[in-house]
Amino acid sequence: MSTGLMTVIRREIRRLCSRPIYLVGMVLVPVAMALFFVSILDEGLPLKVPAAVVDLDHSQMSRQVTRSLNAMELIDVVEQPEDYHTAMEDVRSGKIMGFFMIPENFERDAVAGTGPQLTYYYNLAIYVPGSLMFKGFKTMGVTSAGAVVQTNLVDNGAPEELAGVLLQPITVYTHPIGNPWINYSYYLCPSFLYGVLELMVFLMTVFAITQEIKTGSSPRWLDAAGNRIGTALIGKLLPQTIIFTIIGWGMNSLLYHWNHFPMNGNEVWMIIGMPLFVIASQSFAVTICSILPNPRLSLSVCSLTGILAFSLAAFSFPVEAMYGGVAIFSYILPVRWYFLIYGDIALDGWAVYYARWYFVALLIFPIVATLFAPMIKRSLRHPVYVP
Amino acid sequence: MNRFVIDIKEWLLETARIFRHEMTLVFSDIGVMLFFFFLPIAYPIVYSLIYNTEVTRDMPVAVVDHARTALSREFVRHADATEAMKICGYAADLNEARDWMAAKKCFAIIEIPEDYSRKLGRAEQPQVQFYCEMSLLLRYRTFSSSLADLQIATGADLRERALDDLGMPSNGAPSNIESYGFALGDTQQGFASFIIPGIVVLILQQSMLLGIVLLGGTRAEQRRRLRGGGVTVFGDDASPSAQILGRALCYTIIYIPLAIYILHYIPLFFHYPHEGKVIEYVLFIFPMLLASAMLGQTLNIMATERESAFIIVVFTSVAFLFLSGLTWPVYAMNRFLGWISDMIPCTWGLQGFVHINSNDAVMGQQSHPFAWLWGLTVFYTLTAYLVTRWQTRRG
Repeated sequence: MSTGLMTVIRREIRRLCSRPIYLVGMVLVPVAMALFFVSILDEGLPLKVPAAVVDLDHSQMSRQVTRSLNAMELIDVVEQPEDYHTAMEDVRSGKIMGFFMIPENFERDAVAGTGPQLTYYYNLAIYVPGSLMFKGFKTMGVTSAGAVVQTNLVDNGAPEELAGVLLQPITVYTHPIGNPWINYSYYLCPSFLYGVLELMVFLMTVFAITQEIKTGSSPRWLDAAGNRIGTALIGKLLPQTIIFTIIGWGMNSLLYHWNHFPMNGNEVWMIIGMPLFVIASQSFAVTICSILPNPRLSLSVCSLTGILAFSLAAFSFPVEAMYGGVAIFSYILPVRWYFLIYGDIALDGWAVYYARWYFVALLIFPIVATLFAPMIKRSLRHPVYVP
Repeated sequence: MNRFVIDIKEWLLETARIFRHEMTLVFSDIGVMLFFFFLPIAYPIVYSLIYNTEVTRDMPVAVVDHARTALSREFVRHADATEAMKICGYAADLNEARDWMAAKKCFAIIEIPEDYSRKLGRAEQPQVQFYCEMSLLLRYRTFSSSLADLQIATGADLRERALDDLGMPSNGAPSNIESYGFALGDTQQGFASFIIPGIVVLILQQSMLLGIVLLGGTRAEQRRRLRGGGVTVFGDDASPSAQILGRALCYTIIYIPLAIYILHYIPLFFHYPHEGKVIEYVLFIFPMLLASAMLGQTLNIMATERESAFIIVVFTSVAFLFLSGLTWPVYAMNRFLGWISDMIPCTWGLQGFVHINSNDAVMGQQSHPFAWLWGLTVFYTLTAYLVTRWQTRRG
C-alpha cells in the first residue's frame, strides 16, 4: 500500500463524497446563509419606522408638524391616537415603535413665546428602529424650535440673513469615512458571513477528524500517511481548506462585486487573507480536537465558541468597552482578525501596513496547532469512542 | 364505549411510560445535560458579561486646529467634556491625524478652520469638520449623538453672545419650544439591556432543539444497531402520538424552571429592564416551549447520528436571531423571509417577552403572538407525529 500526502488526500476525497453531511456542512449551509443575509439586509437601513402622533392642539401649526414628520424618510405615521394612553397601549402591543406628542395650545404658546414642550417617546427595546425613530423625532423637535426662533428673531428686528446664522452659529460637518451612507448592513453582513464560515469550518474539521476516532478508522488514516501526523492532518484538511476558501471568496465576491459593498482599499489583501483565515479556523479546531479527542465534547466546544464569536469578536460592541477578562477571549477567535482586516482594508481603506499584525495573528493559529499535534496522534493511534 | 375507555387508559399509560423513560435518558446523557442545563444556565451570564458595560465612552479623538484661538480652544474643551469624546492630542495637520487614525490611536478627527474665530465674530457660519472612522457603527452612533449635543450647547452659548453684541435681549429670542425625548423599554439606552432580554428567549429554544436532536440522533443510531435483531428501541412500539406527547411533556417540564431562571432571575441579577409578573411571562412562554419541543421532534427527521445535531441546529441560531426581529425589524424583511420568520416559535416568544418584560405590556396586548405560538404548537405537533410515525415504522 502506498503512503504519503497524495494517498491521504485521495482517501479524504473519497470520504467527503461518501456522505451527504459533508456537502451540507461545507457547501449548502454557508451558501444558503450567505444568500440569506444578503437578502435580509439588502434594503440598508430599515426606514419608515411605524410611529404615531398624538395631536392635542389640532391647530394649523400642529398639523404642519405632523405632515413634516410623515414626510421624513425615517418615520411613517401610521395612526393619530386621541391621547397618551392609547398611544402607549399601541407601543406595548408592538403596533408602533414610539410616538410624538404635541401639547394643547401649542400654536398659541409658540407664538406668544411662553415655551410649549414637545415630547416624544421611542421604544428602545427594539434597538435599531428605536434609535432611528429617536433621530427622526429629535430632528423634528430641533427644527420646529428653530423655525419659531427664527420668526421671533426677525420680529425682534434682527436682519433676516443674520437670523439664520444665529440659529446655528457653527456647523459641524460629519464625514463618516468609508461608509458615508451609514449603512448598517456593511457591518452585519460581512461579520455574520465570516462568522458562519468560521463556525462551519470549526464543525466540519472536528467532524471529519473525530468521525475517524468514532468509527475506529483513525489507525488506517495514520498508516496511509506513513505514521506522520503532519502529513495525515494536511492531507485530511487540505481538500476542506480549498473548498472553504472558494466558498469564502464566493462570499467576498457576493459582497463586494454583486452587492457593491465598499472596497476602499486593495482587495488583494482580502483575497490573500481568506485562505489564512480558513487555515487559522481549521487550526483552532485541530487544537480543540487534540485537547478533547471526543466527537461530542470537541463539537460542543466548537459550537459554543463558534456561536459566542458573533458577540465576542466585537463586530458590534467594541472590545475596549468589554471587561478585560472577557475581552481576552475575543483575541483567540480567528474571525476577529479577519473582520479587523475587513475594517481596515475594505471599509477604512488603509494601507496593508496598518493591518500587518492581523495577518500575523492569523498565522499564529497553525503554529499553536502544531504544538498540540503530538497529543492528537496518540488518540488517533488508539481511538476510544465515548458516546 | 368500554373499549374506548380502555384504549384511552392504555394510551395514557404509554405516554407516561415514554415520559419516564425520556426523563432517565436526559439525566443519564452528559451531552444532553450539557445542552439542557449548562447552556441555558451559563450562556445568559456569559452574554451579560460581554455586554454589561453597556456603552462605550471617552473614545480618543485627535484635533487639528488651524485657528489656534481662544474660541477654538473653547470648542475643543466642550468636545472633550462630552460623553463620547476624549481629546487625545493636537496633530500638526490632517495628514498626521490621519496616520494616528490608521494606527488606531484615535477614532475621529476634529478639524477647525483657520477663520473660525473671524467668522464667528462676523456672524458667518464657520464649518468644523468631523472625520469619523467607521469600522464600528456603535462608535459613530455615540459620536454623532454627542456631536448634536455639542453643537446645540456651543450654539446657544455663541448665540447669546452675538445677541448681546447686537444689543438685543438674549433670553427673549432663543429657542422657546423645548423638546424632550423619553426612551421606553431600554431606559438606560444600553446595549445589554436591549439585547439580553431577546437573546435569552432564543437560548431557551435553541438549547432545547440541540438536546432533542441529540437524543433523536442517539435513537437513530440505536435503531441502526438493533435492526434485524428482533429487538426494538424503547418506545418505538408505542403509538406515535403517545411518543411525541410523552417526550414533549418531559422537555417542557424540564424547561419551566429554566424559563423562570432565564426570564426572571437573569434580568434581576444584572439589572436589566424587568417589568411584568412572573406568572404572566411563564404562561406566555409555555406554548413556545411546547412548540419548540414539537419542532425539535420534527427536525429529528434529519438526525441520523448523534453528531449531526451540531451541524443541523447550531448555525440556525444565527439565522433565527435575525429572523426574530430583534436586531432587524420584521417589517423591513421581504415577504418570503417574513413567512419563515413567522414559522419560528422564538420569533413570537421573543416579541411577546420583550414587550412584556421591557415595555410592561400585559397578556392581553400580546394576544397576537400568543395565538401564533399555539398555532405553531398545533402545526409542529402534526409534523412531529408524521415524522415519528415514519421513523418508527421504518425502524
